[in-house]
Amino acid sequence: MKHLLIIGNSAAGISCAENIRKKDKEIKITILSKEDYTAYNRCLISYYLSGDVKEDKLIYRAKDFYKDNAIELLLNKKAIRIDAKKNQVVLEDKTRLDYDVLLVANGASPKFPEIKGIRKKGVLGFRTIADTKEMLDMSLVSPVACILGGGLIGLKAAYGLKKRNLDVKVIVKSPQVLSQILDKESSEMFQRRLIEHGIEILTGSDVQEVIGNGDCKAIKLDSGKVIATSLVVVGKGVTPNTDLIEESGISFDEGIKVDEYMKTNIPTIYAAGDIAQAYDAILEKASVNALWPNAVEQGMIAARNIMGENKKYAGSTGMNSVEFFGLPVISFGMTRPPHPGEDGYEEIVTRDKRNTIYKKIILKNNVIKGAIFVNKIENIGILLKLAKLKVDVSTIKDTLLRSDFNFSVTKDLHYEKEEFYL
Amino acid sequence: MKKLYYDPKKCTACKTCEIVCAIGHSPSKDLYTAIVEDNVSLPSVRVYVGQEGNFPLACRHCKDHPCVNACIASALSYDTEKGLLFNKEKCVGCWMCVMACPYGAVRTDKRDNKSVRCDLCADINDPRCAKNCPTKAIVYVEEKK
Ligand SMILES: Cc1cc2nc3c(=O)[nH]c(=O)nc-3n(C[C@H](O)[C@H](O)[C@H](O)COP(=O)(O)OP(=O)(O)OC[C@H]3O[C@@H](n4cnc5c(N)ncnc54)[C@H](O)[C@@H]3O)c2cc1C
Repeated sequence: MKHLLIIGNSAAGISCAENIRKKDKEIKITILSKEDYTAYNRCLISYYLSGDVKEDKLIYRAKDFYKDNAIELLLNKKAIRIDAKKNQVVLEDKTRLDYDVLLVANGASPKFPEIKGIRKKGVLGFRTIADTKEMLDMSLVSPVACILGGGLIGLKAAYGLKKRNLDVKVIVKSPQVLSQILDKESSEMFQRRLIEHGIEILTGSDVQEVIGNGDCKAIKLDSGKVIATSLVVVGKGVTPNTDLIEESGISFDEGIKVDEYMKTNIPTIYAAGDIAQAYDAILEKASVNALWPNAVEQGMIAARNIMGENKKYAGSTGMNSVEFFGLPVISFGMTRPPHPGEDGYEEIVTRDKRNTIYKKIILKNNVIKGAIFVNKIENIGILLKLAKLKVDVSTIKDTLLRSDFNFSVTKDLHYEKEEFYL
Repeated sequence: MKKLYYDPKKCTACKTCEIVCAIGHSPSKDLYTAIVEDNVSLPSVRVYVGQEGNFPLACRHCKDHPCVNACIASALSYDTEKGLLFNKEKCVGCWMCVMACPYGAVRTDKRDNKSVRCDLCADINDPRCAKNCPTKAIVYVEEKK
């Protein structure tokens, strides 16, 4: 009987195991996690931080799931090395686990900047239930929290801690928050909203040092300013956990390089999720798009290929949906084109009179390359699909940002879609 | 599995489908009570009125269901017989499903921060929009292959 070993008990790993079990009850499946929980909704830890979701509601696959699906789950087991020559994974406790097929789905970790004092107690990443619990404990003793980074994770931590009534200061190197996923105008809308709700934002400044003896007591900015705080959250992006595979012979760049079957350069080893560098369907190059839907889809594609189906992956996309203090935004693909107006790039924009709604679409040679919808987000999924399939939208371009835009507008465009008109 | 199909040529945009959908998903299921309920329920089918005709649209319960893969709260699942299943209690209003739906068929209810989507009237096993459409512009029939 074939043995599939999955390193990682989250979006990608669970999706792979589930998709195998839909069709195959024979193959032996083992899932390994260095954490102490059955599968949980990682993205909901910010809702747990803010108090909107209780801890027990985070778990999405409880113990009986593993039992019912004949999956062996090994918790609190950290893999430290892959011995691809022997088809074995080496654990921290020196145990070796054999496999016939391996799925590397060990995700990513917060990037910590290399500055003095960054490993002091009270400086936390925001990735796991354990991180969140520590943050909640610290929030009881530290009236001030400093967030390093104005990206999604940083702002989610800021939002959660503000809801816990802390004095929250966000230190952002770039001139705006959310600069990775929004353009200038939309990021300013969010910045205003956050400030209105009492979050302090220090743009154009970076942290230089974490001060304290063992415990964090303050941070020092590059301006020389010192802010007293015992809680610092690092939200400076994530990095795939490639340390595990460094000497395994598996090729990696930013993440593990996979082909369109989610296979690595080693035929018995697949990779999926935040660890994997797959093809980006919109940007048309290999990228790590560390997002939940991509991880689920990649786990599914890996499963089908492990079962020998030859199923190709259409590619991942950069796409985000968030809401802060009642202001929602969805954006995907390219949000700041390299040369607006040149090389076939074009931007179309609309806003309402009161500047509460903002929509922008980026096109290249009449193919949608990205979009940002602030405060009126419905129907953006139609654009995402058109972008992924690289559909020429020249015939409907003037309707895309109209308030009555809807799916029927695309009915004469030829691309794969469900038939639902008689 | 049965599915909803639309004939835009027959649709007069009378919006009966929207009304019966909203009433059918209200706590009282009665028009005169439903309109004064605290949170007047939103219809999950909508008729788009355009120059080229009128187009009713609701969740397709599609086989691909990218919304299920996108849901970060595991509020969505798919059943080959029943179609898309939505556990409203789990929904946190992150709108990942709105982003993922290629038909624009998911609505947002800002009052309780939950998404709104067609459940094919699972309570009576017969979608009210099709049952009540006066011109038969909406039909509920076995899936066209
Ligand atoms: C606060 C927060 C909010 C987010 N919000 C969103 C959102 O709104 N939308 C979105 O699309 N994405 C969001 N994300 C990103 C999303 O959570 C990830 O893309 C997704 O979890 C990736 O899944 P994965 O299976 O690849 O890996 P992960 O979820 O990172 O899981 C990795 C698994 O591998 C295990 N593991 C790691 N190393 C080892 C080892 N050496 N040995 C054994 N086991 C190991 C871990 O214990 C874990 O089980 C958010 C992330 C965070 C932290």
